[in-house]
This record gives sequence, structure tokens and C-alpha cells, in this order.
Amino acid sequence: MITITHFLVVGAWLFSIGLYAVLARRNAILVLVGIELMINAAILNLVAFGRYDSSLYGGQAFALFAIVLAAAAVAVALAIILNVYKHHKTVNPEDISDLKD
Amino acid sequence: MDMQTIVFYSLAFAAVFSAILLVSLRNIARSLFLFFVVLFAVAGLYLFALADFVAITQVMVYVGGILILMLFAFMLSNREMFRQLQRGTAHFIAIPVWQALPIAILFLTVMLYTALHVGRNEPPWITASREAGTVIRAADNTVEQLGVHTMTHYLLPFEVVSVLLMMALIGAAHLARKEGDA
Amino acid sequence: MPVPTLTYPLLATLAAVLMPFLAFLLTAATGKKARNGAVSIAAISISLLAAAYVFAHVWGKDPIHVQWHWFSIGRQAFHVGLLVNNASALMLLLVCLVALPVHVYSTAYMKGDPGIHRYWAYLSLFCFAMLGLAVAGNLLLMYICWELVGFASYLLIGFWFTRDAAIQANKKAFIINRIGDLGFLLGIAILYSGFGTLDIQVLFGTDTPAVSGTGNLTPGWFTAAGLAFFLGAMAKSAQFPLHVWLPDAMEGPTSVSSLIHAATMVAAGVFLLARVFPLFDGTVLFVIAVTGTVTAFAAACFALTQYDIKKILAFSTISQLGFMMAGIGFGMYHVALFHLTTHAFFKCLLFLCAGAVIHEMQHVKQKLGHDFDPQDIRNMGGLRKHMPITCATMSIAALALVGFPLTGGYLSKDALLVHGFEWAATQHGMALAVPCALAVASMLTGFYSFRLLAKVFFAQPAAGPLTGSHATLHDAPLPMRIPMLFLAACSLFPLFTFHPLNDGHVWLLRGLAPDATLPPLRLLHFAIPILATIASVIIATVTWRWYVLGKYPLKPQGALYRLSLHQGYLDALYMRAIIPPLMRLSAVLFWLDRHVVDGFVNGLAAGGRALASAAAWADYRVVDGLVRMTGKLALGLGNALRRSQTGRVQHYLALAFFLMVVMLLYFIFARA
Repeated sequence: MITITHFLVVGAWLFSIGLYAVLARRNAILVLVGIELMINAAILNLVAFGRYDSSLYGGQAFALFAIVLAAAAVAVALAIILNVYKHHKTVNPEDISDLKD
Repeated sequence: MDMQTIVFYSLAFAAVFSAILLVSLRNIARSLFLFFVVLFAVAGLYLFALADFVAITQVMVYVGGILILMLFAFMLSNREMFRQLQRGTAHFIAIPVWQALPIAILFLTVMLYTALHVGRNEPPWITASREAGTVIRAADNTVEQLGVHTMTHYLLPFEVVSVLLMMALIGAAHLARKEGDA
Repeated sequence: MPVPTLTYPLLATLAAVLMPFLAFLLTAATGKKARNGAVSIAAISISLLAAAYVFAHVWGKDPIHVQWHWFSIGRQAFHVGLLVNNASALMLLLVCLVALPVHVYSTAYMKGDPGIHRYWAYLSLFCFAMLGLAVAGNLLLMYICWELVGFASYLLIGFWFTRDAAIQANKKAFIINRIGDLGFLLGIAILYSGFGTLDIQVLFGTDTPAVSGTGNLTPGWFTAAGLAFFLGAMAKSAQFPLHVWLPDAMEGPTSVSSLIHAATMVAAGVFLLARVFPLFDGTVLFVIAVTGTVTAFAAACFALTQYDIKKILAFSTISQLGFMMAGIGFGMYHVALFHLTTHAFFKCLLFLCAGAVIHEMQHVKQKLGHDFDPQDIRNMGGLRKHMPITCATMSIAALALVGFPLTGGYLSKDALLVHGFEWAATQHGMALAVPCALAVASMLTGFYSFRLLAKVFFAQPAAGPLTGSHATLHDAPLPMRIPMLFLAACSLFPLFTFHPLNDGHVWLLRGLAPDATLPPLRLLHFAIPILATIASVIIATVTWRWYVLGKYPLKPQGALYRLSLHQGYLDALYMRAIIPPLMRLSAVLFWLDRHVVDGFVNGLAAGGRALASAAAWADYRVVDGLVRMTGKLALGLGNALRRSQTGRVQHYLALAFFLMVVMLLYFIFARA
């Protein structure tokens, strides 16, 4: 029997790995991949909890919205990365410290 | 252990292992292809949550859209960027980053603890739903139900998402334009 | 205490005292350009006028007595104050009256000296100190002036500081004066502990002086205090055996000798004793009388055989100071002050004349290029023809010194002798030796005075530098002559009384006379002056025959002669008997000081230093450490926080996620 805990554990793993990628990788595209992993973990949780809502299908509906938003986010993010590269000649987030005053 | 469980575990394992490998590899192209594996495995897991339409969408949008977009961005960008992205492939495994690892592990611990906690003490709304019989069953036609709800109950979010998607596309197109373009 | 109102006499007193000080400051500030001494002369002239005004205002009337609060130690207030009574007013006037001629005289005498600007500064400083001493109304202030007088004297004796003898002399004078200062200070301390005040008017004032009570002192302390004051006076007034500095002090310029070591400073001791006179009991007075007599006699003996013209006069001064002391000892301080006054004039004159003679001899020496001592009377002789005015004035001064009728000296000295015999009559039998010794000393005075006159002015010059060089000698220049003539006039009787043969009518004595006088012996008042005059005439004749006519050959080998020439071998005695043990004592004390006192002090210091370094360590490590730690903490925190602001997205994210984990953990555990 596959319980909700199974999904949650897998989601936790995926989220943590995505988090690691976001924090640790020195490449903007892989950071983006990390973000996608985290979104996937979230969608997985949504879907898993959505099983217990057959009246409105809230979990699955919002999973769909989330996928769409993620796609949009990726499109924008890639555009940003390209621009950043144009500007800084690098996609390593470590080398970009313009947030510092 | 029945077949269903074995398949679930293999999919879960594939997803997690591929993800770990993904973040550990230095070669970005390999990482992106590993991302395929992860996405497919997660899509398979959606099926176990009885969300077949979401699984399909995942494959369609993610694998067919996002990932291709990434690969295109990666490969079709100019040569210097490509070279830079390819640089440092001497090591197969990237060196773990020690500041990030503890935070990730901490998160993992917290979430695993929470997940196990939820497994032991079921939230009241799940119990209520189970008693009321409003749990999605494998026999339910989820696509039809989703379509109805999207067009009725979730019409507003749907429209908002459409507008957002539109804005994102326009923004992305604007950002990605070449210098000097209008 | 209210601020005293400023009356004209008070202002005049202050002006008289402070003008020379102002001159000193001005001269010192002007430096080498102050060569003609105009400032100093002007100052002392103003002082003289002011002093005359004060004298006219105070003499025979109420004294001026004011004081201002100076400082307090605990509850004890100290004051500065003025007390101008008859004696002070007299002293004030006398000092100015003698100092002005000396100032004028100095313009000629010190002409061309390379250090003359110092001379004027020192002279003004001395006058200030002396005038301050005269009017000080408070023993502490008096002591300060007393020290200042000694210091100015030190400077002036060593004026020609390139001469070794001058340096030795001023050191000697200073050291011996220190002995006296110690006495003075002890006296002050005893009186202060006894009566809690140093005000002269309160302590020794005319009507009911504090010292007529007992304070909280036993009679022994009174004797001790009296002796202590007398010790102070002994050193300053060159009493035997502390007189040795005065002959050596003749190393200073002659004009200085005349002012300081004849007329004023040495009289300070007598003046002090006159001021504190009510303090003395019988014992102290007896000691004073005997010491004075011994000094008078011994110094007269030493003067007999000296060859140095200034040394003769120095011993003569000591002898006369002995007379004054004896007068104090007889209880007749008014007579002592009278003798002080007359002596000031004629002794100052003697020195000025001697200075004129030395001045001329110096010229001869420079012209002839001979090497001889210009102060040695053996090189002189027959100067009467060349320096008539000097001769005349010096003769007047010498006659006054001897006590010839018609001079001031006759009045004062005979008065002293008379009172000496009167005093002896009230004492035990042996006391008669005191006035007798004084009488003999007086005759000896006649002898050495006439010897000096004869040798310098009347006798034919011996085979010396003066033979054949007469044309180069001439009388003293005008600025030197005028003061000499002025002082000669002051040395005669009319200044003091119009009755030249009787001291009973001297206004000065009447003004100062104490309440209790000795029972008068009528006979003596006639007999002694007559006898003294007859003796003087005989001595004059003998001296004339001896030195001018050369009747009696001299035997320089006699033991007595040598004793006198070497001043009783007193210096040698000091050298042999006092200095070596003192040196040894000093060595022992030095060793003690080095090893015990210094050791203790050094130990204390080392302890203190150790403590201090411990404190420093604690301060540096603990206190500063805390401060630094705070600083470093802030710095480190700042650095850490600054480092968190890397501007890198991933770091911000990491922090955000970390905080989120913490938050989640908090919720989990808060719920659990």
C-alpha cells in the first residue's frame, strides 16, 4: 500500500536536492534546474494530498497551474540568464555580486 | 510486497538517485539529460497519486517544453558561453559545497520528520475526507472532473494563469532580444 | 579679616619696598642693555622719598600694621603683612639713605664692567629684600626676605664669578648663613607652636606682647627660641665664631661691600634681635652680651695686622657688630640700633673711600703694568696729596669709627660703653669683664683705624709701585665724590643731636627707648666719654709716631702678631677640626642615605613600580582587554555581518533557507 508518507518522503528528498543545487552549484542553468526540482517536489506533494479531495480536485488543478507557472518561470529565467551572461560574461552566481553595495 | 510497491520504489529511487547525480555532475549537458530521467520518474509517481492528467502535462510541458528550452538555451547560445559552461569538466563529481550541504540536510531532516509525523498522525481533514468518501479512486475519470472544475470553480485562477503566462512569454521575448533590436 | 584700607603711608611703604623689585624685574628683562643703572637709581630714589614720608608719618606715632590673608593650612591662616613702627621706619629710611649714595657711587666705580647689567639687577633685588625685611610684619615674611637678602648677597659676592676666590667666598657666605637660617627657622617654629601666630605685632607688640604670657611653652622653650633667633642673627651679623664669611665676602665689588657687608645686611641680625627683643630672657641676653663682646674684641685684634684694606674694614665691621650685639645683650636695643645707624653711615663711607683708593691703585696697576695687589696697604702711602677729598672724608669716617667727639660714632659708642658699665653694675662681679673688654676693643679700634689712615694717606710710600708715578694719581670722579661727601656729612653729630658731647639728647634714642632702662650711673656719663677721648688721642699719637714717623720697628715674627694676622687661625681650625669630621659625618650620612634611606625609598619605589606594572598589566590586559574585546567583538560581528553581505544570490538564499529551517524547527519543537 502506497501511503501519503511515501510521496512526502520522495518529495522531501527531491526538494532537498533541489535546494542543494540552488545553493551550491556554480552555474546559473543548474541553479534553475534546482528550482525546477523543488517545484516538482512541491507538485508531487500537491498531487499526493489532492487524492483526498475528489469534490474539487484542488490538488491536481493547482498542480497543473504550478506546472504552467514553472514553465513561464523557466522561460523568463533563461532570458535573464542570457542577459546576465551578456552583461557579466559569466553565468557563475559566485562571480556576480552586484547586490552588494 | 506487491508489484505496485516495487514499481513505486523503483520510480522513487530513480528520481532521487538521478537528482543526486544531477547536482553532483560537473558536466552540465549530462546534468540536463539526467533531469529528463528525474522528470519522467516524477511523472510516474504522479500516476501513483492517481493524477494521470498531471503526469501527462508534466511530460508534455516539462520534458517537451522546459527541458527542450533549456537545452536550446544551452546549446544555441553563443560559443563563449558554451565554452564557459563546459569548463571544468576535469572532475566527474563536483566538490560538495560545505555551506550548502548542512542546510540541505537540515531541510531534509525537518521534512522527513514532518512526513513521518503526518504518516503517524493523520491530519483531521484527511480522516474526514476518508470518512466522507471524497477520496479519488482509481476508477474515477480525473480528466473530465478536472476539466469541469477548471472551467467552473477554478475559472479565475485559470484566467490569471493565462494572463501571467502571456506576460511571461512577452517578458522572456523582450529579455532575450538582441541589443539594438526595437 | 577685612581688607585693610589703603592709606597714604601704607601705599608709600609698599612703594618703597616694591620699587626696587620693579627695577630688578625691568633690569633683568632688559638684559645686557641695562648698563647705566638709571632704572635702579630712579627706583631707589623713589624708595628714599617714600621712606622719608613714611618715617615722618610713623616716627613717634602709631605704627602702621596691616595684614592680608595669604594662605591657609587646615585651620591655620597665614598672612602677609606690614608692620612699620619706629624701628622699621628707621631701618627703611636708613637702607634707602645708604643705598642711594652707593648706587650713585657704583655708576662710576663699576663703569665698564662687562657684567654691569647683572650688577644693577642684583643690587635692586638686594634693596627690595632688605626693605622688605625691614617692614615685614610677620615672621614668615621676614624669613623669606631674610633668605632673599642672603641670596642677593650670595649673588653679589660671587659677582666676579670667574675668580675662584669669589666663588669660594660666596659659597662660604651662603653655607654659614644657612646655619643662621636654621636657627631663625627653629625660632619661628617654636614660637608658632607656642602661640599659633607669627604676627610680630601680636607676638612682640608694644603694650601686651604675646610672649609676655607663656603660651603653651615652658620657660626652657623661651630660652631655646631666644637662642635660636640669636643663632640666626649670629650668622647674618657675623658674630664670633660664625664671622668667618664676612672677611672673605670682600671678594665682591667694594661698593657691594659697603652697602651689604657694612651698612645693611649685616645689620639685619641686629634688627631682627631688636624686633623680637621681648622674647629674650636673662640667659639669652647674657649669652648675647658675651658673644657680642668676644666678637668685638677678637675682630678688633684681627684687624690690627691685616694688610688688605678691605679686610681691615671687614674686621672692623665685625667688631662694631659685636658692639651692637653687646648693646642688645645689655637690654639697650635702642642704643644698639643707634650705633647701627651711625655705623651704617661711617662704615659705608669707609668702604666707599677704600673703593676710591682701590680704584686709583687699579688704574696705576693697569698703567704701569706692574703686578701688585691694589688692595694691599703696604703698597700705598702719601695719597693725601693726590686724593685730598678722599683723605678728608675717610678721616672723618675713621674718627667716627674711633668715637671722636663731634662725630656720630662718639655718641653711639660711648653710649654703648656707658650702658655696658651700667649693666655690669646690675650683674655679678665677673660681668665687669664685659664692658672692660669692650673698652679695650674700642681702643684697639682706634689703633687699627689710625694705622689704616697713616699707612694709606700720611706715611711716605714704601718702595713700591707708587714711588715715581705720582702724576697718574688723582681724586675720585664726581659720581664717587658726591656720595662720599654726603655720607661724611651724615657721619657727623648734627644729624642726631645738636648737643655734640651728650648722648642724652639724641632724638633717635628717645624715639626707640624701651620702657625699662638700666639705673643710670651719672658719673659714667661724664667719665667714660672723656676717658675714651683721651685714650683715642694717645693712641692716635702713638700710631702717628709708629707708622708715619716710623719710630717703632715692627716685629712680624711675634706669636701674637701671627695669631692676629691669621685671624686667630680660626679658618685653619675650621679646616682641621670641623670640616674633616663633618666630611666624615657627611660620608657616613651619605652612605646611610645611599644605602638605607635611598634603599628604603628605592624599595618603596620598586614596590610601587611593581604594583604599577601589575596595575598596568591588569589595566592593559583586563580593563583594556575588556574594552578591546568589546571592540573586537563589534569589529568581528561587523566583519561577519559584512561578509554576509556578499552580494551573491546563493549566500542570501542560504541564509534565508537556514533561517527557515530554524523557524520550522522552532515550530516543530514548540508544538511538541
